[in-house]
Amino acid sequence: MIGVAIQRWAAWSPGRSDSQAWKAWAAEPQPLVEEGAPDARFLPAMLRRRCSPLARVMLTAAFECCGESDRAEAPTVFASRHGNINESVVLFERLARREPLSPTRFSHTVHNAQAGLFSIAAGNRRGSSSIAAREDSFACGFLEALAFLQRTPERPVLLVVGDVPLSPTFAPLVEEARCTYAVALLLSRGAGPELRFERVAERREAGRLPWPDAVEFLRWYLSGEQRLVLSGPGGGWAWQRELPAGD
Amino acid sequence: MADATTGCVLSAMGMVNALGRDPEESWPRLLAGDQSCFRVREDLVPGRRLLVAEVAGPLPAVPERLSAYACRNNSLALAAIEQIHSEISEALNIHGRDRVGVVIGTSTCGVSEAEAAIRVQVETGRLASAFDYAQLEYGGAASFVAELLGVGGPAYTISTACSSGARALVSARSLLALDVCDAVICGAADSLCGLTTNGFTALQAISETITNPCSANRDGLTLGEGSVMFLATRGAEGVRLSGIGESSEAHHMSAPDPGGAGAESAMRQALEDAQRAPEDVAYLNLHGTGTPLNDAMECPAITRVFEAPPLSSSTKPLVGHTLGAAGGMEAGFCWLMLRNAEAGELLVPPHCFDGEVDEALAGVPLAAPGMRAPVGAVMTNSFGFGGNNCTLVLELEAS
Repeated sequence: MIGVAIQRWAAWSPGRSDSQAWKAWAAEPQPLVEEGAPDARFLPAMLRRRCSPLARVMLTAAFECCGESDRAEAPTVFASRHGNINESVVLFERLARREPLSPTRFSHTVHNAQAGLFSIAAGNRRGSSSIAAREDSFACGFLEALAFLQRTPERPVLLVVGDVPLSPTFAPLVEEARCTYAVALLLSRGAGPELRFERVAERREAGRLPWPDAVEFLRWYLSGEQRLVLSGPGGGWAWQRELPAGD
Repeated sequence: MADATTGCVLSAMGMVNALGRDPEESWPRLLAGDQSCFRVREDLVPGRRLLVAEVAGPLPAVPERLSAYACRNNSLALAAIEQIHSEISEALNIHGRDRVGVVIGTSTCGVSEAEAAIRVQVETGRLASAFDYAQLEYGGAASFVAELLGVGGPAYTISTACSSGARALVSARSLLALDVCDAVICGAADSLCGLTTNGFTALQAISETITNPCSANRDGLTLGEGSVMFLATRGAEGVRLSGIGESSEAHHMSAPDPGGAGAESAMRQALEDAQRAPEDVAYLNLHGTGTPLNDAMECPAITRVFEAPPLSSSTKPLVGHTLGAAGGMEAGFCWLMLRNAEAGELLVPPHCFDGEVDEALAGVPLAAPGMRAPVGAVMTNSFGFGGNNCTLVLELEAS
């Protein structure tokens, strides 16, 4: 079991942007809204223009989650199942018509575009990872964040998880809760109420939750329930509260 | 429990690239500076004859039961995995499937197959029927390997552009140190496709000739493809991943900070993590893409970190820039150097270029064919799009 504390959290989904709204949601959870975008006014106009819808959502949660010093000093993990595949689809269609690509659009299709934009916007020069793990993207992102805490235990790490609905080209091929969301967690060793994280044999039926795993984690975290089990195709993950919940 | 710095040994390695189907084939060609593997492809970028380092010949087929994952990227991964299959099976037997993890770096996955599927869609209104989203989504690269091998531990893909492969090894070391895994299959695969060849063409980053890193005449990179896979464990004999350095640039999405601060920081951190002084480094594998900006940033960063820089080379003029696989591939070359040391000396892959050193980059000794270095630590640099930098230090497990 690995101990970890959540120093701060933030989340964004259409119609839900602050902690009050999320606490209200957690008390009475319901499926999230599919489409919508934050204004992301904290970003300089030139960067904001370059942001994909996913980048806007993930950067909004990331900025909301951190004070200025953590924003610049925390190593970062960006986890997303689909990343910028919607942006790539536009380029695939151009390629199919033998049209040239825009260099800027190409460089923003990389899976770590969100991480790169965050680093630029926040002046953050720490290490950063961007991961994907199909249905297991949240738990594996959490694990990747713990990997940073293993290497630099003194430094809180920012985990940002998010997705937007997959483009109509590929959406029929994927069964999942369609929504726009991002959840950001500032994780550290040793401060605040501790959670214990571990790999478990328990598995949840595939198919499953009406919202993404990261949002289910947030619901659990706000609920005061003792234990949460999430699972992907390979196995399960459990989070357990060390102390009673309290604000 | 092993700690972070002593805990990760790369006990087996398999690789496939344009130089060869396995290390037995590619290692002698690498040392000989054999550049005969580059080919012209006219089908990738409309109106352009593009020089690429492509893996020749048939690749192993993805097994029928995993046909959802059937794509060139996964066939390349499979070609590398087959070479270390017995070591992986042994690790699964010893530790149990749930204690073995998978971390794979890639920037492409099945992009090539997605392009073909969308070509069909543009023509007919329907996606090609052989296409499955598992081929394209990044996470598919890791879940393919996990399902192929029956691995039950965590399995995820890292995609941080050209540092992806190096980062996969970084995460593997931490998963061992966190005691989440007792063995990790870690590596990378990347395959030539329309998106990257046309994208880098649009960025005017592709060389007209085979890439010429550190040359006054350098005009860009040459793309390649391939895969490398390692078995990372605690304590066994082998090559130790002793140093990790990582930084972000906070500068630009597709251009490095010309000051090279991020590269410098990654190299310094890697040395500190390995508890090594600069003079302990016997060889440095450059990121060395051959783009004007990369080399102009990297070489001065090296001369700031090293008072007397070690013998260095870019291996990209030999296997191309394999993008998401590059950091892993180059760690694989470092692994081969350490494993094949002769009489206390490392055989150094040569830096192949036109020989006209850019005077502004002077101070980094570029290896000529046949050169050797005393056995010591070796370092490899990877700097990716989005400003993601990763430097690794590898050395032989002290006996």
